[in-house]
Amino acid sequence: MTTQATLEAIPAHVPPELVGSFNFYTSEQMVPTPLGDPQAATSTLHSGPPVFYAPNNTRNGEGTWVVVRAEDQRKVLQDGITFSSNRRLFASALGEDWPLIPLEIDPPDHAKWRSLLNPLLSPKRVVALEPAVRERAEFLIEGIKSRGNECEIMNEFCFPFAVSIFLQFLGIGNENLAMFVDWAMDLLHGAPDKRTAAARRFIAYLDDLQAERRKKPTDDFMSFVTQAQVDGRGMTEQEVRAMSVLLLIGGLDTVAAALGFDFYYLAQNPDQQALLRAEPARLVLAAEELLRAYPTVTPTRKATVDVVLNGAPIKAGDLVACPSMTANRDPAEFNDPDSIILDREDNRHVAFAYGVHRCLGSHLARREIVIGLEEWLARIGPFRIKEGTTPITHGGFVFGVHDLVLTWD
Amino acid sequence: MRIKIDGAKCQGNARCWALAPDMFELNDEGYMEEGVIDVPEGEEKRASRAARACPERALTIIDE
Repeated sequence: MTTQATLEAIPAHVPPELVGSFNFYTSEQMVPTPLGDPQAATSTLHSGPPVFYAPNNTRNGEGTWVVVRAEDQRKVLQDGITFSSNRRLFASALGEDWPLIPLEIDPPDHAKWRSLLNPLLSPKRVVALEPAVRERAEFLIEGIKSRGNECEIMNEFCFPFAVSIFLQFLGIGNENLAMFVDWAMDLLHGAPDKRTAAARRFIAYLDDLQAERRKKPTDDFMSFVTQAQVDGRGMTEQEVRAMSVLLLIGGLDTVAAALGFDFYYLAQNPDQQALLRAEPARLVLAAEELLRAYPTVTPTRKATVDVVLNGAPIKAGDLVACPSMTANRDPAEFNDPDSIILDREDNRHVAFAYGVHRCLGSHLARREIVIGLEEWLARIGPFRIKEGTTPITHGGFVFGVHDLVLTWD
Repeated sequence: MRIKIDGAKCQGNARCWALAPDMFELNDEGYMEEGVIDVPEGEEKRASRAARACPERALTIIDE
């Protein structure tokens, strides 16, 4: 029911000269755009004020401050006391009120939850998950090959791949993969009523799984968290739910969208595609550059006190958005930020955010992306966007590309 | 060359480890502990690249 009439007025403390005309949801290139480049479109913000106010800059039509530069984003995201992450977004969409764990828990409480989960997704642990990741990539790509010489890559590869690895991690197996992919599409890209219904279905499923593992633990993630001790006690059902839901929404759309942009770039840049196919050892560095150029998320915090950030008079309660796309194209931190240089070194991009909430799954995500591209390039010949089709890009909550039909000879 | 690690700033990005796993040892959670690393002679270039890879700016090169 979001209409112009429900948009919030600009708060009185926001100086008119800091009200921007750009937002990440309805501006040019942020709305679904044929053959667009939404990340590049945000780069122009570097010519404006370093922190500005964007009306209508959330899914619910709220205004937020937008922190353009990387250095200022570090100040926000590294200070979880001044800038709270406790927004309860997922729960509020269901008319409920509980934090995702650990993302919506602030320091100092945050640390104990994070410490519990860190070892499960550490760089070393991810090495052990790699054979399963590679096996899923092979399985999906061979399936696509057997069906012909074209595919819509988001639906046929990127989403099922990310969903499948999540299921594996959770300990569910792939028997119901198609059902989960449908649910995930509804949850992440459906109309609001479909989203809510899908969220409830996921929660019901995870609750059932939790109950089973509490009775009869195995060696999977759900068994681990149902057995884990926090503050000398076991976790409540609600805490386990809040943790498993976060892994679900953190691990699906983001990885799928990142891979989607990578294919979108490679399909349009045959020389770079050929180079990576011929020398796959270049993929590790190339994947980092593609993460820099095509990040998808905007960590957003709520100020807990009045604070001035690079000239912006932020008031307690204001939302403060830190788009990874602008930080990753900050000329103060990257030479020639709008050029994609696949062997770029010194590439400390912020695709996985800064601070205590740095993406818990970043090490797995990196390997999913590299392995997905490795297996694809090794098994599929030179590919391009199918003639007569038009991929659509969009900005918003998680930037993405869809209708990406690839073909090869 | 030595590299100082600010343990409070490390958030487990592990970019230093990715470039020089032999020099930057992660704990079980995948983070660097507070401390100072003595860079072996001849490894200065690799070590400084690893230090400059930290998105959090948790690593500082001292005694160049």
